[in-house]
Amino acid sequence: MTSPPTTLGTGTRAARWARKHLFRTWLDSALTIVFGGLALYLIFRFVLFVFVNARWEIIQVNLKLLMVGRWPSDQLMVMAVSVAVLGLWVGLIAGLVHRRQMRAGQSRLTAMTGGQRVVDLVRRFGLIIGTVLLLLALTNTNGPWLMAATTVVASVVGRVIGGAAGTRVLPRWVARTGVLLLALVPFAIYVYLSRTLALADWEGFFFNITSAIAGIILCFPLGVLLALARRSKLRLLQSLSILYIEFVRGSPLFVLLLMANVSLEFFVPASIAPSKVIRAIVVFTIFTGAYLAEIVRGGLQSVPRGQEEAAKSLGLSPTKQMGLIVLPQALRNVIPAQIGQFISLFKDTTLAGLALGILDLLEGAKAITQQPDFRGQGLIIETLVFVGFLFWVGSFTMSRESQRLERKLGVGTR
Amino acid sequence: MTNEQVFADATKAVGEAIIELEHVDKFFGSFQALKDINLKVGLQEVVVVIGPSGSGKSTMIRCINRLEEHDNGRIVVDGIELSEDVRNIQEIRRETGMVFQQFNLFPHLSVIDNVTLAPRQVRRMPKDEAERLAMEILERVQIPEQARKYPGQLSGGQQQRVAIARSLAMKPKVMLFDEPTSALDPEMINEVLDAMKDLAREGMTMIVVTHEMGFAREVADRVVFMADGQIVEVGPPEHFFTNPQEDRTKLFLSQIL
Repeated sequence: MTSPPTTLGTGTRAARWARKHLFRTWLDSALTIVFGGLALYLIFRFVLFVFVNARWEIIQVNLKLLMVGRWPSDQLMVMAVSVAVLGLWVGLIAGLVHRRQMRAGQSRLTAMTGGQRVVDLVRRFGLIIGTVLLLLALTNTNGPWLMAATTVVASVVGRVIGGAAGTRVLPRWVARTGVLLLALVPFAIYVYLSRTLALADWEGFFFNITSAIAGIILCFPLGVLLALARRSKLRLLQSLSILYIEFVRGSPLFVLLLMANVSLEFFVPASIAPSKVIRAIVVFTIFTGAYLAEIVRGGLQSVPRGQEEAAKSLGLSPTKQMGLIVLPQALRNVIPAQIGQFISLFKDTTLAGLALGILDLLEGAKAITQQPDFRGQGLIIETLVFVGFLFWVGSFTMSRESQRLERKLGVGTR
Repeated sequence: MTNEQVFADATKAVGEAIIELEHVDKFFGSFQALKDINLKVGLQEVVVVIGPSGSGKSTMIRCINRLEEHDNGRIVVDGIELSEDVRNIQEIRRETGMVFQQFNLFPHLSVIDNVTLAPRQVRRMPKDEAERLAMEILERVQIPEQARKYPGQLSGGQQQRVAIARSLAMKPKVMLFDEPTSALDPEMINEVLDAMKDLAREGMTMIVVTHEMGFAREVADRVVFMADGQIVEVGPPEHFFTNPQEDRTKLFLSQIL
């Protein structure tokens, strides 16, 4: 085999690659050296900090506080059972959806062998798995290990059962009951959890995650409805939607959260006023809903007019034209922007801690530096790096999954 | 009265009329796209509409299934008059299939789902029955093997045949074709025209806006020539192409033939 002709001289492949990509001109060489050096220096300082200078015992000692706040220690079993059931649930749904899509020929991804599947899973969730292992390594009790192991087993079992159920054609009533039961699982988990501590007292990273999930689930229909209202022919509906969107988008999230904290008490007696956590979730929903509405509107505009015309000419009702033809295409066209907004929401949950006085991950991280053992030792850097890392792991995984979803749905290829 | 005279009058259909347009006007702002259009189309008749671009051909057939609203006059399809009443509009759309220049297949649905969508959603047909029907129709347009693919994976000619199949699945009484071959590569035009000829032979009532003069000669019962929003001349193809009466028609034919 002859190598392709090159104007960049001879040498090993690596040398040729470096010459082409790093040292092509004098300017390239200068930039490579300056920024390469800077990058190396920063990496060196970071590694030095993380592995040598940082004193991670502050995290180790307070790990439970950071993760679940002041959740009663003797009730952690409840948490463990809930997470395991949640794992089972996610596994079941993943299996069902995967099988259904494969059967309907909707998935654009090729079938994988067992080995490829493991590699694929590690690539998708390796970061989360690694982080969980890291956190487990920091604990000094067996409980968390047991919890993690049970959850993994439960998810795998769920995935297998879901996959098996997905290959069968079930009678309609069985399928319907199954879907209904599946939909009820999160509520059941919530009820189970709130027997120990009501939503109002959820803290730590647990608060950040649950309020983000609640916000995402609630803001989605709100955003879609607002987008549809903004395109509506009814002028009143249209004006209300525009007013809402422009008002909410015009105010900082932090201000809205502070208002939810302070001004609500002027109007509602304290005895019936919703808890801080509920207020936070409501504000997240209102805020992200407005942004989502604009994203969805952009998606609606990206669907060619001919689609609606074709749906009309087939005699579909206006609701079905929108629900079956235009909206599905609109939503998949804006998957990246939607996920971006959800990632934003996830990170913005830290604002609720400060604005509403909830001991979330960030507030917890700030509080523990004031403990007698650690006060005045400048450990805030360690705790902030830890907080940032956890949010990065979550956000990055969401971003990767959104790209995968796009590939799976074949966005842009059809 | 001779056949020729009957054909030459746009207001008289061959046999029983299924589509009637009476004094139809259409404005886009201050621009008048259709001026006093009168046309009757008989059951099982094939009417080909030709004319320069901007002459109102597409607008006319888009008015028939209410993709455009006409401003004056009456449009009656199969005894139902088009009005503001949404239920009348829905009913007429169920009776009329439409094939577009740009195919307008639903890209997020597979071919079979494109074809079964309307029967299932509008006619409430059970899934297996709708799929049987869809496969039958896909056989007729000769692409049953593409049923599980997505529109994006097909050639233009195949996509247009799927679009025809999608309309036929609603068992329409009338088919409207809006320049069905204009967006196709030349080598794919014939496969679509063949599917349309089959339809005409089976007795489908069709209005076809096209630039394919060969198709018009071979299949049309009547050719309608439009210019500047008006119907200028109507006649059977042999008469229309060899002995046009109006100067405007002669000019157009001299430009394209």
